[in-house]
Amino acid sequence: MNVELLLQALREVLSAPSLDAEYLPIDETCIAVPAECLRRAVDVLVGRFRVTHLSTITAEDTGLEIVLLYHFWDRRGLTLRTSLPRDGPHIASLARIIPGAIFYEQEVAEMLGVVFDGHPVAASLLLPDDWEGPPPLRRPTGDDV
Amino acid sequence: MSRITIPIGPQHPALKEPLSFLLTVEGERIVESALRIGYVHRGLERLFQDRSYVQNVHIAERVCGICSHIHTTAYCQGVEALLGLEVPRRALYVRTLLCELERIHSHLLWLGVLAEHIGFTTVFMYAWRDREIVLDIMEDLSGGRVAHAVNAIGGVRIDIENDHIPAIHARLDELERQMEMFLGVIQHERTFQARTRGVGCLTQEQVQRYCVVGPVARASGVAMDIRRDQPYAVYDELSFRVITADEGDVWARTMVRALEIVESMGMCRQLLDKLPEGPLASRAPRRVPAGLVISRCEAPRGELLYVIRSDGSDRPARVKIRTPTLPTLATLKDQLRGVHTADVPTILAGVDLCIACADR
Amino acid sequence: MRDVASAVLTILVFPGFGFLFVCALAFHWIDRRVTARFQGRVGPPWFQPFADFVKLLAKEDVLPVGAHERACALLPMVSLAAVLTAALHIPVGGYVVTSFEGDLIVVLFLLSLPALAYFLAGWLSASVFSVVGGSRALLQYFAYEVPFLMALAGPAILVGSWSVSRISGAQSGGLWTLLVQPIGFVLAFIGLIGKLKRSPFDIPKAKSEIGAGPLTEFSGRKLALWHLSLQVKTVVGIFLLVDVFLGGSGGGISLSGVTLFGVKCLLVLLALSVTGVLYARLRIDQLATMGWRVLAPLALVQLLVVVLVGG
Repeated sequence: MNVELLLQALREVLSAPSLDAEYLPIDETCIAVPAECLRRAVDVLVGRFRVTHLSTITAEDTGLEIVLLYHFWDRRGLTLRTSLPRDGPHIASLARIIPGAIFYEQEVAEMLGVVFDGHPVAASLLLPDDWEGPPPLRRPTGDDV
Repeated sequence: MSRITIPIGPQHPALKEPLSFLLTVEGERIVESALRIGYVHRGLERLFQDRSYVQNVHIAERVCGICSHIHTTAYCQGVEALLGLEVPRRALYVRTLLCELERIHSHLLWLGVLAEHIGFTTVFMYAWRDREIVLDIMEDLSGGRVAHAVNAIGGVRIDIENDHIPAIHARLDELERQMEMFLGVIQHERTFQARTRGVGCLTQEQVQRYCVVGPVARASGVAMDIRRDQPYAVYDELSFRVITADEGDVWARTMVRALEIVESMGMCRQLLDKLPEGPLASRAPRRVPAGLVISRCEAPRGELLYVIRSDGSDRPARVKIRTPTLPTLATLKDQLRGVHTADVPTILAGVDLCIACADR
Repeated sequence: MRDVASAVLTILVFPGFGFLFVCALAFHWIDRRVTARFQGRVGPPWFQPFADFVKLLAKEDVLPVGAHERACALLPMVSLAAVLTAALHIPVGGYVVTSFEGDLIVVLFLLSLPALAYFLAGWLSASVFSVVGGSRALLQYFAYEVPFLMALAGPAILVGSWSVSRISGAQSGGLWTLLVQPIGFVLAFIGLIGKLKRSPFDIPKAKSEIGAGPLTEFSGRKLALWHLSLQVKTVVGIFLLVDVFLGGSGGGISLSGVTLFGVKCLLVLLALSVTGVLYARLRIDQLATMGWRVLAPLALVQLLVVVLVGG
């Protein structure tokens, strides 16, 4: 996987010339992608660069927004970073392109309340069926504290 | 033919850990399966956020009861990278040695479980008996059989005394002899083959679609191994083969794991022979500079991922663990479709599930 | 009066029920111990089977709602009664309670009754595991029973008698049936493993798949009787094989004859234990294929050889 080529391709497809990579420790590259472009970016990654291995999706509520990190791997790490608003976050599901993403998206959905548009499964993955209350990994908002 | 629904789990003799399958069966064939996990979800990721980096080492150790050391390795490695800390080489050697011993222990444990599930009690007994050899080595080194508490941020907490090394070699010799016997059984025993060949097949394409990792992926011909592809600790100084097979069935997985044990023993010997002198740990500050790190390790079951984000305090802002079992679970629906009920335990054993890991 | 007393004694003590009970527990212990030694374990102390039996007798006896109470109480008794009755016709070291022409057929019939009871137990005890186990038991029965019957018919045809005692006695001259009909012996041995549901044919009670199979819901006294009936069946099966194929006690009643008989029984038991240790459990379809494609044709060949050459 050549990061420079990938960046070029992404800039072209997403028509976002300012797209840039950030380098993290342990041989990892991180590229910030707008949420609405994520699916197209993954299409490029899977279709053109044959990076099919999605390690997992990390989601974090920073208190200001919800950050999603899509960790790909092809002999070195590549992370696509995108962020969603805290109110009614939703993003396109990757289940069609990468079936392995189904569990990861399910987990993010139940832990942080992110809606994945076009996700095939509605049930929860880890939480009990009768779980009540806000998604457990959400930070408490002003009113709750 | 009438359909009946067989519940497997949350408690069932074929399962070491709680997960639930509802199998819809027509005669002896499975038509449908529904999977449910989460019975041992302990909210560990949330717990990480409430503890300091040092305390979290102990939580990481307790994510899994079989591969505890690799979890702390991945966690410590991530924090060390955030700190920009240089870990002494002797510490990395000790760490890697424990990783490989743990792999042997985990694979032998697995071999026993598989044998038990296909009704081969003798191999089950032998595998678990010989697993004790590795457990003894680990107990002598660290004082613990499965929870070793060896890793610390910046290094390790135990040392290997030089006059102890020949004893470890001798035990590995013994295990090597036993492994020859196991390999003979796997390759030549006809009932063993009858129960494992052609069962639970996964094609290379399926493995890639579901992002499967570890021995299951390697048994389907996908040669991915973090130890070779993105070397951590001191794997770049060791020589070893990445074992793969083409069949993609339970037999191939058995073969891959058995040969990996042999490779791991070779690596242990190299590590013991090359063990450099030097300190065992470098001092780590309490506060970790803000940043994000993705730390990957090759656990016995495959790629283990720790994502750690620091906000500059003494506690991580977010720790995400992806254990190798989770993607494997996704393949079970495919593997179980249309199989014989008698093959269900074989398939479940074949992928080597670690539910506590997957549930966290 | 004396005749009656001695008849009662024969039936109840030796070589009848009392003796069988002791043998059953002893054989079971030896089997477990041998298996354990082969597997690198120690194995249970000698009184373990007896302790297990007593413990089960004392335990609470429950059945799930929906199970057929009366049938479930009756079936273990039927099973035990059938194997005990079968034992009466099989000579033990030359001693036999009762013997008549054609008793081999009675014995074979009585020995297959427990399989039917076992299947019904699974069917009537209201659990998915036991239903699956029961249907497997029935399928397994069809796979091993035909070769087993044909294998035992060989010696009967050769001797020209359908009495176990006569077949056993006919070998006293020298030649064991085993030497004349080796295929038959192997088939009977394999059939016996299937009959006893021992590893590698422990398919109906494969615990990693379907719990305890048909006996999943049984407990207490009923389970004790089931276990006892299976243990007695092991003993009876071994006696039968020794009498028919291994020359029994070598003719007549003597101390050396009884000892010889005992030694042969232990050898067969050892062979059973070793077979159990050596293999992985087969799948029911693999067993059925083996039964009809390999065992049955071989049995047919053996029978033809007996009829054409021996007759």
